[in-house]
Amino acid sequence: MFNFWQLVRNENLKIYSRIQTWFMIGFIVILQIGLSALLKFIPSEFEPISWAAMFEQTYILFFFIAIFTVVVAANSVANEFSSGTIKLLLIRPWSRSKILLSKYVSILLFGLLLGAIMFVLTLGVNLLLFPFDNSNSVVHESFGSVRDMRPIEYILLYYGNKFIELVMLVTISFMMSAVFRSSVLAIVLSLLILTSGMGIARILFALGYEWVDYVLFLHMNFVPYLDGAPRKEEFTLPFSMAVYGVYYVIFIATTWFIFNKRDVSS
Amino acid sequence: MEFNETGKPVVQLKNVTKIIGKRKIIDGLSVDLQEAEVFGFIGPNGAGKTTTIRMMVGLISITDGDVIIRGQSIRHDFEKAIRHVGAIVENPEMYKYLTGYQNLLHYSRMVPGITRQRIDEVVELIGLKARIHDKVKTYSLGMRQRLGIAQAILHKPSLLILDEPTNGLDPQGIRELRDYLRKLAKDEGITVFVSSHLLSEMELMCDRVVIIQNGQLIDNRSIRQTAIPDTEAQRVLFEVDRAEEALEVLQGQTAGLYQGLLWVNADREEVAAINARLITAGFKVYAIRVQNKSLEDQFLEMTGGERIV
Repeated sequence: MFNFWQLVRNENLKIYSRIQTWFMIGFIVILQIGLSALLKFIPSEFEPISWAAMFEQTYILFFFIAIFTVVVAANSVANEFSSGTIKLLLIRPWSRSKILLSKYVSILLFGLLLGAIMFVLTLGVNLLLFPFDNSNSVVHESFGSVRDMRPIEYILLYYGNKFIELVMLVTISFMMSAVFRSSVLAIVLSLLILTSGMGIARILFALGYEWVDYVLFLHMNFVPYLDGAPRKEEFTLPFSMAVYGVYYVIFIATTWFIFNKRDVSS
Repeated sequence: MEFNETGKPVVQLKNVTKIIGKRKIIDGLSVDLQEAEVFGFIGPNGAGKTTTIRMMVGLISITDGDVIIRGQSIRHDFEKAIRHVGAIVENPEMYKYLTGYQNLLHYSRMVPGITRQRIDEVVELIGLKARIHDKVKTYSLGMRQRLGIAQAILHKPSLLILDEPTNGLDPQGIRELRDYLRKLAKDEGITVFVSSHLLSEMELMCDRVVIIQNGQLIDNRSIRQTAIPDTEAQRVLFEVDRAEEALEVLQGQTAGLYQGLLWVNADREEVAAINARLITAGFKVYAIRVQNKSLEDQFLEMTGGERIV
């Protein structure tokens, strides 16, 4: 299994040798600093505390991190096909499953990296610029949650949930990439889910279909349970996790099955 | 069998068949490849060369039959079988945004035991040392072709598969490739499997060729034929001053006229006798030569004159 890391290193090499990747990382850094600077230097009657600034910015930055990670995921398999490099990649003493897994792992690592950059910057920069209040009441006042916990605890749980959401978006993008070999389709579909998933769910909700409870978009993350406000009264955390889990397994199984079976021609 | 080499074949194609939809793309292809042999795989475009190669390296599934490489089945023991294979399938498509060296590093990580030293050695061998740290997108086709060969031999395979390797090479490059492949086979004992539609090229490069057409094997022959036995009749051309009259002298022989020359089917001894007869009869004999059919002539004969290319 040691050698599997070599495959991940290869995928990392491919991700970080591209200029677009560094553009993405640079964009996140500049956007974060820009947002904090705007907040600080534009005159306003009231100055936010650092936690509140961090929470707001995380909401905005996550959107871009999701887009970037989805793009990397979409390119990961589709580009190997469009450039023809897939042929030389697959004629090595590795099963297709493991090669695919190394790609998946490297994408998740990229998502983690962007998430870590966001965490460090939103925390560090805002601590520097804004007043610090570490009382538990922040969680209610700034984050809108009913929980009684330290702000950092809430933030970490919130980040964890956002990562879970990111994993699903990446998995969908990755599946589209492997199944249709088209990065454009993968990107468009994943971003549609990111931006309109909730809206679509709400419409279905309003129409009163019973199966709407099982629509993935309502269970992309578990933040509602963290905030003590489930999207529907009967929803519980285990139910949401189960729905998420079933979709996840289906997507992963489809991706691997099709990639393993596919004839690599043309 | 015209081939009787001892020893177990390095690669065996056993009744390999590929059906896509209802169409039989490859129909029961069986070939054995021996060690250290340069093997030409010839056929018109669309005959199924690339499909066969893709099956040999596991890129597409095999409908029926199997490919055995060093005793391992590509269908059932892919990872073990493919370990012995280096290949370029169609064009040598590398990661253009990486340098040549990074490309090789990438492939070297996928097989245990390839040292940086080995990479340097291969780079030296293919003569890309000066440009190896440049991005592949700046490479010419010939340089990409060489880099392709580098990644294929990095792990010292027993079988090297090259699909149309002379495409895009200039005559100098083709010649170098030819010499290099022959050297690989001779010095390192590598079996080289080369596909092409350029017959004249294959004739110079290969020890043996098979010809396929419409997915079927139509010929399997040695190129470097051991000398033809003296007793076997061959078509021999005589250049004489009055060919038509000379033909009359040779009544009883299988003979005729060909582009102003006199041809006769004769074995070695008969050629001498005929020569004597012609001279005795007062003809001037300027030249005698065996009419060698080129591979191309033979190919066209076999495929019923179907155009190649």
